[in-house]
Amino acid sequence: MRSVLVLSALILAGFALSFAVSEYTLRLLNMAVIAAVAVIGLNFAFGYAGLISLGHSAFVGLGAYGLAILTTKADWSPWLAAIPAVAGTGLAAAALGYPLLRLKGHYLALATLGLNVSFSIVASNWIELTGGTNGIAQIPGLTLAGYKLDGEQTFLWFGLAVLALLGLAALAIHASRLGRAMMAVRDDETAAAMTGIDVTGVSVTAFVLSAIYAAIAGCLFAAHVHFVSPDDFNYAHSITFLSMLIVGGEGSVAGAIVGAALLTFLPEWLRVLGEGYLAFFGLMMLAILVFLPTGIAGLLRRWRRPALPPQDTAAGLDGAVSR
Amino acid sequence: MIAATQNALSATGITKRFGGLVALADVDLTVGNGEFVALIGPNGAGKSTLLNVLTGLSAPTAGRIALDGRDVTRLPTHRRIRAGLGRTFQHGRLFPRLSVVENIMTGAANRAGRGEAGLRAHALAQLRRMGLERLADQPISALSYGNRRMVELTRVLACEPRVLLLDEPAAGLNLGEVEDLMARLRAIRAEDRIAVVLIEHNMGMVMRLAERVVVLNFGRKIAEGTPAEVQADPAVLAAYLGEGAAHAGR
Repeated sequence: MRSVLVLSALILAGFALSFAVSEYTLRLLNMAVIAAVAVIGLNFAFGYAGLISLGHSAFVGLGAYGLAILTTKADWSPWLAAIPAVAGTGLAAAALGYPLLRLKGHYLALATLGLNVSFSIVASNWIELTGGTNGIAQIPGLTLAGYKLDGEQTFLWFGLAVLALLGLAALAIHASRLGRAMMAVRDDETAAAMTGIDVTGVSVTAFVLSAIYAAIAGCLFAAHVHFVSPDDFNYAHSITFLSMLIVGGEGSVAGAIVGAALLTFLPEWLRVLGEGYLAFFGLMMLAILVFLPTGIAGLLRRWRRPALPPQDTAAGLDGAVSR
Repeated sequence: MIAATQNALSATGITKRFGGLVALADVDLTVGNGEFVALIGPNGAGKSTLLNVLTGLSAPTAGRIALDGRDVTRLPTHRRIRAGLGRTFQHGRLFPRLSVVENIMTGAANRAGRGEAGLRAHALAQLRRMGLERLADQPISALSYGNRRMVELTRVLACEPRVLLLDEPAAGLNLGEVEDLMARLRAIRAEDRIAVVLIEHNMGMVMRLAERVVVLNFGRKIAEGTPAEVQADPAVLAAYLGEGAAHAGR
């Protein structure tokens, strides 16, 4: 329940900001919302099931290119094009997941990184389909009930609504048997199998869910920017998504949103540093991994619940501990 | 030879080689419905390897495993668990990111057709039966070692197994906790008629609980019988105390 309240508060904050900030900040907020959708997706794979993916951006790209190609080459409506773009990305993740997820840890990270690099190479070189490094321009925007979602403010409202829905769905999955199974798999694969959990099936499901969220983010991106090119989906973006999740707090939907927003705005706030930003960013990530391994969400949890209940003593355990 | 269908668990001709090392050599193990069998042997005798083969964590080099007469030799672990096998680990393996009741719910989720509320109710009922309901909403990190092991056992029981494999459940428990564990195991067997295979170094516990004892040494079954028979078996004495002791004992 508390996580639903936190999610609603974040969405309302975004909505309130949409009346108070400049066009430029609105654009950044839109980028933050789109990144947040992708990072909530990554949270299924990495935060819950413990699958390190450095190829998340490739799935964002698959969704974006799917929508771009179907709308510009086949003249589909973007709404209609989004369906096969997202479903196709999910299928691709399932087909890739079965062989890829036999790998663990560093090996999986490297393989997914390779997947992202392959995606960039294909997107740059399959010129008839993708336009090569020139990308695809003039992707049509979204129209809802005769109303064009082409301004930064109106698109932000739409983006926030999508983020709210997908955030709620993620929270529902978190609290379901699938969510518990994903966390059990991350905590201890052998013990998970020993409680009857299909470890491979649950891992692939988490991977597919993460790809579906990524593809939706990609569709939002294509419909908002009206232009896609291979550079928008290279592996550096995958590393950024992972950083957003770690900064915000893996395993938490609110953390994914906060991390996405923070790392979208931080480069703008620190523009004065110039090239020095990368050094600052590296040191910040290091500091977070060392001092805040559970991210901002973990820090807030610690404030709320300062100490664990006492060990197995009758006094602390008479059912008084509620959520 | 009893027909395989009458046994809850029957493993025949189990051999497991790791390269040149023979960890299990042609071991047979049958467990009748509701029977309590103890599996003992010196360290390195192959007891845990046998549990790993039975649960599908490691594939046997040769041999066949049947649960309720159904061949499960090639099934992956989670399918064997759903078919009625349950196992605890030597040091208790829980999911630290889930609360106690959520840990139990992962086990209860095997039985299809239970909604979220039904799962929780089933998990709480299992905790109540084990006298652990006050721990339901605790994080795993707040549990004592003994309680961790009891919660792990509860999670396995929530899967409603027909055959329960226990890997040194008393290791690291204090005397009171061992007594409590034995009482719980007796009660569970009386209520559910679950067959149990117990690996244990605590001989007092083995002798008081087991109906039949199987002794492994160097991957071979060297003796099988009632606790009293096994205790008097010279091969068993030799395995535990060395050849000289066995001759002296004669």
